Amino acid sequence: MIWLPGLPYNTLVVAAGVAAVGFAAGVVGSLGVLRKRALVGDAAAHATLAGVALAFLVTGRRDLPVLLAGGLCSAVVALGGLVLLRRWTRTREDAATAIVLGVSFGLGIALVSGITARGIPGGAGLEQFLLGHTAALTARDATLLAAVSAVAVAIVLVAVKEATLVAFDAAFAAATGWPVTLIDYVLVTLIAVMVVVGLPAAGAVLVTALVVIPPVAARQWTDRVGTMLILAGCFGVVAALAGVAVSAVVPRLATGPLIVLAAAAIFLASFLAAPGRGWWSRLRRQRAVEQAWARGRILSAAAAAAADFSRRGIVERVGGLGGGGRRLFDAAWGLLVRQSLIEPAGGPAAEGGHGGTDRWRLTTAGMEAAAERDRRMRAWSDLMESSPLDARALITIDLPDPAAVGAADAARRAAGEA
Amino acid sequence: MRRGARRAKPEGDGAMHMLDPLAGWMFDPLAGLPGDGMHVWAIATAAVVAAGCGLVGTLLVVRRMSLMGDAISHAVLPGIVLAVLAGGRPGGPLVLVGAVAAALVTVWLTDLFRTRGGLAEDAGIGVAFTTLFALGVVLATAAASRADLDPGCVLYGVLEWVPFDTVPIGGLEVPRAFVTATAVLAAVLVAAGLTWPLQVFTAFDPQAARAAGVPVAAVTRGLLAATALVTVAGFEAVGAILVVAMLVVPAASAELLTHRLHRMAAIAVGLGSVAAALGYLLAWRLNTNAAGMIAVVLGAEYVLCLLVAPDRGLVARLANNCWFGWRVRCEDELAACWRAEEAAGGDGPAPAPSVRGLAGDLALAWLAATGQVVRGPRGWLLSPSGRSRATTVVRSHRLWEAWLGRHAHLPLDHLHPPAEWIEHHLGADVRRRIEDEMGREASDPHGRSIPPES
Repeated sequence: MIWLPGLPYNTLVVAAGVAAVGFAAGVVGSLGVLRKRALVGDAAAHATLAGVALAFLVTGRRDLPVLLAGGLCSAVVALGGLVLLRRWTRTREDAATAIVLGVSFGLGIALVSGITARGIPGGAGLEQFLLGHTAALTARDATLLAAVSAVAVAIVLVAVKEATLVAFDAAFAAATGWPVTLIDYVLVTLIAVMVVVGLPAAGAVLVTALVVIPPVAARQWTDRVGTMLILAGCFGVVAALAGVAVSAVVPRLATGPLIVLAAAAIFLASFLAAPGRGWWSRLRRQRAVEQAWARGRILSAAAAAAADFSRRGIVERVGGLGGGGRRLFDAAWGLLVRQSLIEPAGGPAAEGGHGGTDRWRLTTAGMEAAAERDRRMRAWSDLMESSPLDARALITIDLPDPAAVGAADAARRAAGEA
Repeated sequence: MRRGARRAKPEGDGAMHMLDPLAGWMFDPLAGLPGDGMHVWAIATAAVVAAGCGLVGTLLVVRRMSLMGDAISHAVLPGIVLAVLAGGRPGGPLVLVGAVAAALVTVWLTDLFRTRGGLAEDAGIGVAFTTLFALGVVLATAAASRADLDPGCVLYGVLEWVPFDTVPIGGLEVPRAFVTATAVLAAVLVAAGLTWPLQVFTAFDPQAARAAGVPVAAVTRGLLAATALVTVAGFEAVGAILVVAMLVVPAASAELLTHRLHRMAAIAVGLGSVAAALGYLLAWRLNTNAAGMIAVVLGAEYVLCLLVAPDRGLVARLANNCWFGWRVRCEDELAACWRAEEAAGGDGPAPAPSVRGLAGDLALAWLAATGQVVRGPRGWLLSPSGRSRATTVVRSHRLWEAWLGRHAHLPLDHLHPPAEWIEHHLGADVRRRIEDEMGREASDPHGRSIPPES
């Protein structure tokens, strides 16, 4: 790998520069994603190609700073065009984005192809800006990229409070006197800058992933903006380094797609495994609710039955358990037995040998639990008579503390909406 | 011959050189087109692709799904590459299936991210399509030795090579890409013809459509599958990314020109095809990439539509404003003459009202030329036709002042400015109703009489 000794100094500097770009893109992109501007960067990114090609045509040199300055100019022009289209025409926002993206990219392709076809010296390398290739970067270029990234991060640090306010409640921000439009323009310009700086590494087509995927992955782990910024930056660094490393080993592969795939892997892991918002976590919470509900149904059925009852009888009483079926029943039953709320009719001593008898009874704790459930059930049905509620609210009677569960749910919903 | 020589000449760097070939073309647009039909096939292929894209794009644009079209055009790539690796031929049925499958996966992923991950829709799209496209590029690069896929063509197509890969149909060598594109266009046309009312209903009111029993989800999925089909048909010709220009730009341009959906679709198909032909010819002249030039021409068409669209176009709006300004100026001059006559009373013609600036001179000259004022010994005099028009304006003005004076309780010196605005807009009906309300003999709040309707 690239951090092993023996690798050229240049490679190390380039890796560091690209890592800095990854960090800054994650930080800036987080604010963009929170402000629901995720795809603005895409239009800017596709537009950079035309600016890069024009800068090359005008100066005739393939200096990275010059080309990137050209790219930034065309990105800003494209974003300005987007604003004009949205404000002055009937074209809707999504179509306007697609128009700016498609047409400016077409212009870029035409320019680059024209340069290549004419064999202008140095023009062949321009195609590297399509998909990104860090092999051609020099240490000086990488230093420039890192410096611009540092400035972008510094601006975010200065304005993070304002940007957060605008992202979460633009109307409130405007009402309290913050210049929302100005903050938006600064944010979009920063995104454009990050897209341009990410160009050598990720290429015009895919660089938008740098400002979208790490923030979205970070969002899965936390509800705090500060944590999200740092996490997104770190994810960006990991993705960028992974892309550069693989591309260094297999030079045929462009860096951009590799960076994107690494970021996507991070996102997939976050999407599945993050606590709270992740897939497994949601699934486990849902299972826990179902389980508690099934146990409650069994307890109530047992309390309503004769002093000692058969397992088969309970199965018939609780019915299908809402499609949860036999597995849900077995799990709930097993847990009830383990919690000593139900025991074999012969007492705990008979547990080992009850074999085919299938006679069970509630323990004292089990009777108390069943009585408590009945009390809650009555409370709920009283409440529902006075004010009809969603019947699904009944589920909460089987959870430890309905009030706490309700509060937790509300908090989670609020976080989800934010 | 002449052209070939120019093309072979090594060019220096500099932007001007790129435009050189245009100069000759201005005078002779078809010069140098070889007669073997090569260019005709390429243009025909691009036009057929653009037609399919225009049709599908119309529905995408009115449903605000342009970015989904963008995402799909990127995301079909891994489907295509996998299909080619599995033995499919580019443009063959297996590749079409692979592309549609990839498109549906994109939509499914975006939905999944939104419902299970709490992502905003655009963020979900951004994650899904960049990931799938990156996967496609890596697969294509890794498989470049085994499959006939150049990562470059993935991005911007090779319309110029289309005529060289042919299949014989009825003794005629027809380019394979043309056959694919025509088949896809036919399929999309048939599907659109069969489901058009459902698509329109779903596009404009999905809730009502669902309530009326339209299978909204299936209709949407069908539209996305059609998007994938036209994308993959355009894949060889214009590449994966520029398809988005063909999908969205003609439809958005057409939307500026009309309010009827079927007309919009027809215009989009037309605009797309014209841009395909024009863009190809331009690219060939300028020796650059055809797909890129087609996108540029599409952009130019959009700007043109912005300018010339009837009643909403910039030119139309500007003309309306100018015409209205001119009418106001003329009516103001007439009213000024009328007031001067009123001030002079019955004894002889009044001096001309003070003429204000060049616009006032022009307006008076126009009024004189059309016989609404005539030059008298001491100034301008109203002719009968001019007097009738001037009376209407002054009448509107004073009626409005009277009405405001009664209802808005404005002080006397605040009545004039709003009346000065409204006098050019009041119709005969409104004047009559105000008069009925104020009483026939009323004068305006300044005590001047309100002239009767002329």
